[in-house]
Amino acid sequence: MSLRVLNPNAEVLNKSAALHMNINAAKGLQDVLKSNLGPKGTIKMTAVAQDDTSGDGTTSTVIFIGELMKQSERYIDEGMHPRVLVDGFEIAKRATLQFLEKFKTPVVMGEEPDKEILKMVARTTLRTKLYEALADQLTDIVVNAVLCVRKPEEAIDLFMVEIMHMRHKFDVDTRLVEGLVLDHGSRHPDMKRHAENCYILTCNVSLEYEKSEINAGFFYSNAEQREAMVAAERRSVDERVKKIIELKNKVCDGTDNNFVVINQKGIDPPSLDLLARAGIVALRRAKRRNMERLVLACGGEAVNSVDDLTPDCLGWAGLVYEHVLGEEKYTFVEKVKHPHSCTILIKGPNDHTIAQIKDAVRDGLRSVKNTIEDEAVVLGAGAFEVAARQHLINEVKKTVKGRAQLGIQAFADALLVVPKTLAENSGLDTQDVIISLTGEHDKGNIVGLNQHTGEPIDPQMEGIFDNYAVKRQIINSGPVIASQLLLVDEVIRAGRNMRKPT
Amino acid sequence: MKELVTFQVGSYANFIGSHFWNFQDELLGLHEDPQAHSVFKNQNLDMDVLYRTGETQQGMPTYTPRLISVDFQGSLGSMSSRGSLYNHNPSPSSGVATWTGNVSTQASEPRKKNLFLQRLYNEGQDINGSEILDTDVVKSLEDGVQFWTDFSKVHYHPQSLFELNGLWMDPQEFNNYGIGRHTVSEGLQGDEINERLRFFMEECDHVQGIQFMVDDSGGFSGVAASLLENIEDEYTNVPVLLFSVRSPNSYNNLTSRKVSITSKLHDAVSFSALSSLCKLIVPVGLPSLSESRVSQYLSLENEKLYQSSAVYASALHSINLPFRMKKMGPTGESSNESGAVDLYECIQMLAGQGRQNTVAILDAAMPPPSMTGRRFQQPLLGNLHPLTPETAHDVDDLQAIESMIVHGALGAGEQEVSVSQVREAVETEYENTSSTRPRFSHLSVSRCPLPIPLPFPSIFNNLVSQRGDLLLNSPIVSGSPSRKGPLEVHSIPMAARLRSTTAVLPFLENRLGYIRKFGIERGSIGASVLTSWGFGREEIEDIGENLSKMVSALNPQQDYSSDDSD
Repeated sequence: MSLRVLNPNAEVLNKSAALHMNINAAKGLQDVLKSNLGPKGTIKMTAVAQDDTSGDGTTSTVIFIGELMKQSERYIDEGMHPRVLVDGFEIAKRATLQFLEKFKTPVVMGEEPDKEILKMVARTTLRTKLYEALADQLTDIVVNAVLCVRKPEEAIDLFMVEIMHMRHKFDVDTRLVEGLVLDHGSRHPDMKRHAENCYILTCNVSLEYEKSEINAGFFYSNAEQREAMVAAERRSVDERVKKIIELKNKVCDGTDNNFVVINQKGIDPPSLDLLARAGIVALRRAKRRNMERLVLACGGEAVNSVDDLTPDCLGWAGLVYEHVLGEEKYTFVEKVKHPHSCTILIKGPNDHTIAQIKDAVRDGLRSVKNTIEDEAVVLGAGAFEVAARQHLINEVKKTVKGRAQLGIQAFADALLVVPKTLAENSGLDTQDVIISLTGEHDKGNIVGLNQHTGEPIDPQMEGIFDNYAVKRQIINSGPVIASQLLLVDEVIRAGRNMRKPT
Repeated sequence: MKELVTFQVGSYANFIGSHFWNFQDELLGLHEDPQAHSVFKNQNLDMDVLYRTGETQQGMPTYTPRLISVDFQGSLGSMSSRGSLYNHNPSPSSGVATWTGNVSTQASEPRKKNLFLQRLYNEGQDINGSEILDTDVVKSLEDGVQFWTDFSKVHYHPQSLFELNGLWMDPQEFNNYGIGRHTVSEGLQGDEINERLRFFMEECDHVQGIQFMVDDSGGFSGVAASLLENIEDEYTNVPVLLFSVRSPNSYNNLTSRKVSITSKLHDAVSFSALSSLCKLIVPVGLPSLSESRVSQYLSLENEKLYQSSAVYASALHSINLPFRMKKMGPTGESSNESGAVDLYECIQMLAGQGRQNTVAILDAAMPPPSMTGRRFQQPLLGNLHPLTPETAHDVDDLQAIESMIVHGALGAGEQEVSVSQVREAVETEYENTSSTRPRFSHLSVSRCPLPIPLPFPSIFNNLVSQRGDLLLNSPIVSGSPSRKGPLEVHSIPMAARLRSTTAVLPFLENRLGYIRKFGIERGSIGASVLTSWGFGREEIEDIGENLSKMVSALNPQQDYSSDDSD
């Protein structure tokens, strides 16, 4: 009770009040989120943008925890100790995870992954966030993007898929660029806006005059001395520019090829002038991450100094062009050598649409990556939850003696919240749906829910798959959090009166 | 050297910034106004230093501050974070284009615009179509400013205003360096702000530096530190001039011993971190501005952020002027101004030589008395008072360096004083001064006074005349208002100064004392607090080391290995 000593005003809720507070909180969150689940869910538009970095499966986790708490409440109200329930949860969790291993559908990921299954997983995810036609269009984009950046024997780095947006036109204009889109253009009126067959120099070299401590100039009483310092600094910048021009002449002279410099550092107007006169297109202040992507897409290497420039440093792109929207400029680097980096260009008429598509695309990318790395998927549309529940009730529960059985029962019933919520969101009668689904499963048919008709369907036939890793995560973390909430002894909170009527 | 990029991070920084940009907007307006006084028309100030030229998707040209403002979500009041210029189809009700299923919308009503903003956006009329008078506007602002956007007359670029997500305005909990660091390092918000900086930097042909204002009284110092780290990484040679600002309110919430210790540790940690991430740091913000010597011709209430921030903004505006004066050749002197320096030169001058002291004091005279009358022995030097807290008076520092700006100076009888007269007057003062003359001083002079825009608070006392002269001789007319505002005072002369001097020692020593007493000493109470902010033992000692180095740079005689200071 050290806390009480520190703050005598801190209020202490006793055990049972604390427990009910937790249950109510979890249920409340569930109520808010459950209508989001599935392709028939309601999306929530709030004035506050939510910061959703946890990715897919968030809704499922929250409603599962809420349901576990709800099921527990029944038993606790009948006088059962939460400890017993928690023990049952633990057994049920382990059994469900084992069952998941058997239930999952293995996917072979050889040299050429099964594109169809990847598309099905991506589509399942996207359709819970976007309307069907748009989701289906993005499915190909998302799958191709991941396959583009995938390298054998290496973990997939989704950062190599750049997601760019333009506030423009309609959402169906979203497309995959096999190459890069940079959100800036050249800064000289004489540079080409459209160039084919381009050498690409990716560099991080200052091409601007900078003040250094030596030439700060302020303390020179002698103006000539100062001018001399400035001129010397200027010369050294010009030298760097000239080295780039030399390389350009070496590789381009006598050909129609072009030369594009993409620099992470600045390029000032005199340097731009020199480059423009040599027929070079130059972009300054490129995003750090794009330097890496450029090299992956175009080849060559990113150079930090112009001292040892060789043609080997250069990458290649068949097409580089600029697109202008008001004051915003975009540079497309396309037809690249080996597109190990690509860009999903999202176009939408307003920020909200763009944000929705972006979120969905991020989740879609992750689901494809998960599938490739899991080498497995799980039948969706509630099929897994119903099957796991039947397994717990019919097989696992018998093996346990005493009251822990009730914990397993609660866990099993809580799993059904997924198909129930899917049904509810489609305006179907949840009782009917659950009876028909469990009936089919008892006959040995693995079925999920057709959300249009309420009839059982074969998710395999319909191509509805969820991520194995996501399901596993939900089964793992749901009961852990629920257990912590159930086993709380006391809630102590200073400064606020918790028992005020709500 | 040309462009400046401005950062405003945290609530009070944005209050100050809002006034700052109002001055710039006013100057731009007066420059175009045929009826304006000639000093505003001939100003040789290059506004492109602070502003960028752009165009909307509809092809409308725009001219907006090159600014990134970071604040709590919900702190923009009735203003949209996308600004007001680029929203051609602002209909949020256009529906959800990405979903055909159910949509439930929870939208809050937009905040109602106050009278000032109503008039600004509806061209002089209120919602009922009746005309809004200046006096109504002034009164409504005096009584009801809640957000810094309430008194802003500036159009901002959509990239400029960044609201930290997931942080509703709850400064009580967002009150320390650690939590601020945490907020930006988690998730993508830090990256997003850095991307916006890149947007502005990419446009710059030749950036002269970054002026950074941060309200470092709470979590925003941690936010700023992480932004400054990115600047150091990405724009290594771009100098940063940092103003760490505090509102008078930030000084009086020390309710308990624990809170007070936490806040002292925060002060030490925050100052140490920020000062090491910039070229020159200027702490700004007095505990009681209204009672300070700088307010001798002002009359304001400490609790009103709208009022106090106007004073600091005025001084920062003055400090900024030399950065955008057009440079003349080695011999050429303009009759409108002299003493142009760019941000880098200013920093080099103050921090780059001798003791390499990177902490400067900001002084201001608002307004300075008439320069040529006999009345004042030292109209300028005697009236410049610090806006930096915890400084020593009357120190004799043989190695002091100062950079001063005087603009819009008036002589006897509201006569304008020429640039060369100001130079002479200042030189005479230095010669006659009783205290030690600084080792090096630089003076910038401009004829252009500080314009007082309509949304400026009524904070002048009744000695200040319409052009900012001091009515010391004339009897106070009975019935005149005790406080004067934009309707009575149209412009004032200003003088401001950055000083590198040992007078800043108390400020440094206090912070060194805090970290030693509460953080480093064996069994000190603050160690667990610092751990929770993510500092290990070694890092805490580094902070102590860093602060003691700054102290001994200014005061090498003193032995700071003992820690009996508090």
